[in-house]
Amino acid sequence: MKQYAQHPPKWADRFLEWFCDEYLLEEIQGDLHEAFYHHLKTRGPTYAKRQYIYDVTRFFKPYAFEKYSRAKQFLPMFNNYFKIAIRNIWHRKVFTTLNLAGLSVGISAILLIFFYLRNEYTYDQDTPDHQQVYRLMNEYRVQMYTCMSFVDYYGTAPEDQLQLINHLKGYDGVVQACHFVPSESDIGGRDQFYVKVDGREFIADNVLYTNTGTAFNDIFPQEYLLGSVENAFDQFQSVVLTKSLAEAWFGKSWKEQPLLGKTLEVRGELYSLSAVVDDVPPNRHYDFDWIVYQKAIPSWAAYTYFKLEPQQSIDRLMTQLNNDVDKVYPGRSEDVLQKGIHHVALADIHFTPDTLYELKPVANTIYLKTFGIVGLIILLIILTNYTNLSIAMYADRQKELGVRKVMGAQSADISFQLLAEAILLALLCFPVCLLLLSIILPAFFETMGLDLDRSVLWEPSSLGILLGFLLLTGFLSGVYPALVYGRKSMLSLFGGKLSKVFGNRIFNLRNMLIASQFILVIGLMSVTVYIYQQLDFVKNKNLGFTKEGVLFFDIDGAEKYQQLRTALASIPEIKGVGANGIPGSDMYNQSTYKMKDTDVTLSDGTDQYVDYNLLKALNIACEACEELEKGKEEVFVINRTAAEKLAKIKGVQPEDLIGEVLVSEPEWENEEFGYGVPHVIDGIVDDYKFFSLKYSNQSLLISVAKEPGWAYQALVSANTEDWPQTISKIQHAYLEVEKERPFQFQFLEDRLDQLYIAEKRSGTLIGGLSFLAMLLALMGLAGMVSYLAYSRQKEIGIRKVLGASISSILFGFNKEFIQLLLLSTLVAGPLAILFASQWLSSFAFRIEPQIWVILGAGLFSAMLVILLVSLQSYRAASQQPVDVLKTD
Amino acid sequence: MKGLGYLEETILLLVLSMQDEVYGFSVAEAYKKHMNKTISLSAVHAVLSRLEGKGLIESEMGGATAERGGRRKRFFQATAKGKQVIHEIKTSRQKLWNLIPDLS
Repeated sequence: MKQYAQHPPKWADRFLEWFCDEYLLEEIQGDLHEAFYHHLKTRGPTYAKRQYIYDVTRFFKPYAFEKYSRAKQFLPMFNNYFKIAIRNIWHRKVFTTLNLAGLSVGISAILLIFFYLRNEYTYDQDTPDHQQVYRLMNEYRVQMYTCMSFVDYYGTAPEDQLQLINHLKGYDGVVQACHFVPSESDIGGRDQFYVKVDGREFIADNVLYTNTGTAFNDIFPQEYLLGSVENAFDQFQSVVLTKSLAEAWFGKSWKEQPLLGKTLEVRGELYSLSAVVDDVPPNRHYDFDWIVYQKAIPSWAAYTYFKLEPQQSIDRLMTQLNNDVDKVYPGRSEDVLQKGIHHVALADIHFTPDTLYELKPVANTIYLKTFGIVGLIILLIILTNYTNLSIAMYADRQKELGVRKVMGAQSADISFQLLAEAILLALLCFPVCLLLLSIILPAFFETMGLDLDRSVLWEPSSLGILLGFLLLTGFLSGVYPALVYGRKSMLSLFGGKLSKVFGNRIFNLRNMLIASQFILVIGLMSVTVYIYQQLDFVKNKNLGFTKEGVLFFDIDGAEKYQQLRTALASIPEIKGVGANGIPGSDMYNQSTYKMKDTDVTLSDGTDQYVDYNLLKALNIACEACEELEKGKEEVFVINRTAAEKLAKIKGVQPEDLIGEVLVSEPEWENEEFGYGVPHVIDGIVDDYKFFSLKYSNQSLLISVAKEPGWAYQALVSANTEDWPQTISKIQHAYLEVEKERPFQFQFLEDRLDQLYIAEKRSGTLIGGLSFLAMLLALMGLAGMVSYLAYSRQKEIGIRKVLGASISSILFGFNKEFIQLLLLSTLVAGPLAILFASQWLSSFAFRIEPQIWVILGAGLFSAMLVILLVSLQSYRAASQQPVDVLKTD
Repeated sequence: MKGLGYLEETILLLVLSMQDEVYGFSVAEAYKKHMNKTISLSAVHAVLSRLEGKGLIESEMGGATAERGGRRKRFFQATAKGKQVIHEIKTSRQKLWNLIPDLS
């Protein structure tokens, strides 16, 4: 047996000596050692050692280090710090209020940003094994489709819709594959449905269609509140509700009712309710209110997902899939327009821009980063404010600190005292922050379009983060004054050189802090102005059509449209009724086109099939369309953008194209025309903004029909003061011709507004935050100036004795700040313009950032600063010299 | 006065029963011998210090010892109050026992 084995493990001994109270150590260690040697003799070294370590850890509890321990002497001292801190906080009510308000408001704002960013950055991350889940995307022409088409599009037999899924499942390493189509997607129809249950009728939308129910649940597991995974997708014609829909239909007590197996009737078809699942969290890239599991998905394509086994190479699989593409889509590898099938990892979906038919708007990472940066800026302002204010406040506590030092306090004690005060003050903000947040959160989530409520605030993680932020802020903001005052010598605390805390150079810490705040405030203010200028520009820009007094809704087919048109004709205030091609659309699939006698093919065409009445209702001028009045059935026009592009290729004037032949989809081989579809250009219309102003003018190829052969949207323009009355008339007429779909309308102006919703949100957020930053910075400045005025009382007194006027003293105070402000404006200007240009670059039609905005922001800040500084220093400047000078 | 827990009562009885050298390790050993189960040293220490806090036992440090690397032992012995309390417990238990006609 080796010698060292006969001693208790050294580290365990040291650990014991470290935590154990000295008073108890001797007997405890003695007993432990005795036990060790006893075990060594009876049970051998291994057991003895293990038992020793175990026993030591068992002693690691309050009994051993608290009962008689130093804590008894330590705690009262510790308490003393807090007692003094509380007295000081209470004593300086103005300072405390300023600091409390600043900290609470600032931290609350940071937490708002945190909630927002957390929601965005956790998209789909809680889906199990999300690293192994991918979605397929198809590149066709120049666009990336987020959905995979069925073999024969709308005409695909239900079994054939599953071809791609079955093919994927056939690969080694693919665990599961599913597809679905939410009705609230660009390929889902965005319909509303009447649902009949128990003789009652409900209106519902946002349904998720799938014919791969079990696979859907395997890849995207839902939480079952009623029914079970095993039985939910037993047979087709099953419906799964979410909790909130179940609650809306069956009341709060839905859980007690016999819901499973209940029959639902939707558009004449019978379904059986098979389960109720929890609501879909907002941070998923898909959403649904209910799932319909049926044999066929009512669309031409579906969003297709699959899950790989861990460690499988996705690239190898994708290569294989692209090689085998003809097995699923016969003849596809011959098609030059098919650019291949791609994949996107589940968690990346929310951050993949520029795709077609994405389910939810994707995150704009520039915005997210901006919000993060603004959050940091606010944190910085809070920290500097606190540092500045506390240094100011401690100025008149120097004597107190001096006395403490005389009584024997060490540097560490003073530092600890000041730090304790900072942390305590920060902790006092905890309830204030909770109150503020619980008031403001619902409005914030509403503005930012987040489907969250204030209950997220009470989650342990949120509370922990709030507390963590407060502690961190308290610590960071307290550490500088704590160190400075801790280190100061006793004599200097009694001596009068107050302003020496910072040093006298112009580039001292205090001035740097103030200048950085000015830069942030001026920069944020200017950016806010630019954002609102752009939003205003977008709102007032002439779009080339009349957008006021127009509403629109879906219509099912040309027959119903014509019936409705006839019915509406008798209502006097209605000026026009039209169908299809309603502006303010999202981008959709583009097509190729060329002039018949040139070789260059363009691929940015947007085909449109509109009703002539629509152009009339929107006041879009179309000279060529007058032919329709004279009996022609259909005319073909192109917009000026398309005309100019084509004319340039051909080397003629745009007007010369009239009467020439344009071929659309020239690569499409067909029996009727050979290649593509020829159209004779009947005329050119002026550009009108069919898409968002974020895009430049697109080429529109418009077929205008006198009587549209098919219709999916109808539009009504009216000249009325009493909209509710008119709408109810329209609704009445609609319900006469349409029994299947509820009436659901929108104003054209609202639709156009929604195109810029993300920009509006960022504008509101940055505007609100810059206001906040401004407020916080001013509060900090107020504290700063009052400290400066206090510390320079005697100097001011002497100046006044020597003949200085109040105004000249005020000027002296203002001078330094105005200099700093000027400097800050110079720095903030380029930064703001740089940032604004970045933001504006997402718009094709945009304003130029003007210099005068920055100058204006600087001037505005200067006025506020002068006002504040003068108010704060007026008291010091107007005092009688004798009052301040008599004490020394 | 607060009541005694089961472990406190047992340890107090052990302290009373042991003649000499009543300290942490020896109490733990006695516990093992009489009760047929093991007890951790920390539990013994904690209970002893609780009993001392209640004034039922008292302690003093012994002299230096060789086998513990010179560390002294803390010896315990029951106080008059401790003896009285254990008597009271016994008496009250006995009354209860007398009420039971026949256990088997």
